[in-house]
Amino acid sequence: MNTIFVKMAAHSLRISADWNTLEGLAAQFLPVLKRKEEDVDIQLTVLPGYGTVFQNFDVQVGKEPNKITFKRADYLIESSPDYTSATIQVHDQLALKHALMNFYSSFIVYHNWGLLIHSSCAIQNGRAHIFAGHSGAGKSTAARLSEPRALLSDEATIVKIAADGMVVFDSPFRSELQSTYQQPAPLAGIQLLHQSERNRLERMGGPDALVALMDKVFYWNDDPAETHRIMGLLRNLVEKVPVYELYFRKDPTFWELIS
Amino acid sequence: MVQFVQKKNVAQIEVENEWIILDTEQYTVTRLNDLGGFCWQKLREAQTVDSLYKAIDLEYGVECEKDAIDHFLADLTKYGLISHAV
Repeated sequence: MNTIFVKMAAHSLRISADWNTLEGLAAQFLPVLKRKEEDVDIQLTVLPGYGTVFQNFDVQVGKEPNKITFKRADYLIESSPDYTSATIQVHDQLALKHALMNFYSSFIVYHNWGLLIHSSCAIQNGRAHIFAGHSGAGKSTAARLSEPRALLSDEATIVKIAADGMVVFDSPFRSELQSTYQQPAPLAGIQLLHQSERNRLERMGGPDALVALMDKVFYWNDDPAETHRIMGLLRNLVEKVPVYELYFRKDPTFWELIS
Repeated sequence: MVQFVQKKNVAQIEVENEWIILDTEQYTVTRLNDLGGFCWQKLREAQTVDSLYKAIDLEYGVECEKDAIDHFLADLTKYGLISHAV
């Protein structure tokens, strides 16, 4: 068992695992940092050899007084109730990626820090623009059509939601386009994608925007306290950041509508 | 008189004078306007049609039709958000 210190958005992680796993993490997810032990926000132990290959997205959540568990066919997370310490058993790299997304989204919601949103995100003039939508709506397409703008995410966007503003961090959770480790950028707006013959942008009201974003948040569970925290974070988001319906053609001209 | 009360396992939030109610067991979303949201808040404790009628009169200074309150409670019951208080 060996250890590396890595950065995930604004948080520092100490990860213990075998060398193969750590090399995979360092190469695919996160830049390696030299940190002191006392700076660490999250301590993780990753163990291989769990379960079977990916079956489906069904996650069973278990709660005990001193432990929260998330169980899927290909991973098992056993976490402290405040998500600062956990053991993650995985079957393979895909399981490790999904388990880390599950764990980190739970951590940031629990600490009322922010949300992991199913979306891509590009930077223009120093400000972040999120593109969200249902599966197949065009998140990856919008990301590709945003070149040469830098991307903060192509699948799962990490948004810090705070009283002094919304900030998007570079996401290590990628689908196709690898991270180029961009600096965080203030969030200018959220676009909900619809493919169309003609480009059009329509501002949404707060309640419509909140309901539309609900199913874009990763990993809801049936805990009313956690659900209430997510709803509160979403309300802060839609009250401070404009949300639009973006009807777009599959070419870069939709950027002309985005300020 | 029949009393109604909110079920557990619901989360709610107010945005721009509208209430969004999420049933965390059935994963349903219900949206209520300002008046519906007022009644919803009252339903944290057991209420009858008459007690809601009086509360609306006190808060808004208007006499709401009892049939409308009855209908509202029937809708919330159908959506699984309230039940008879025991």
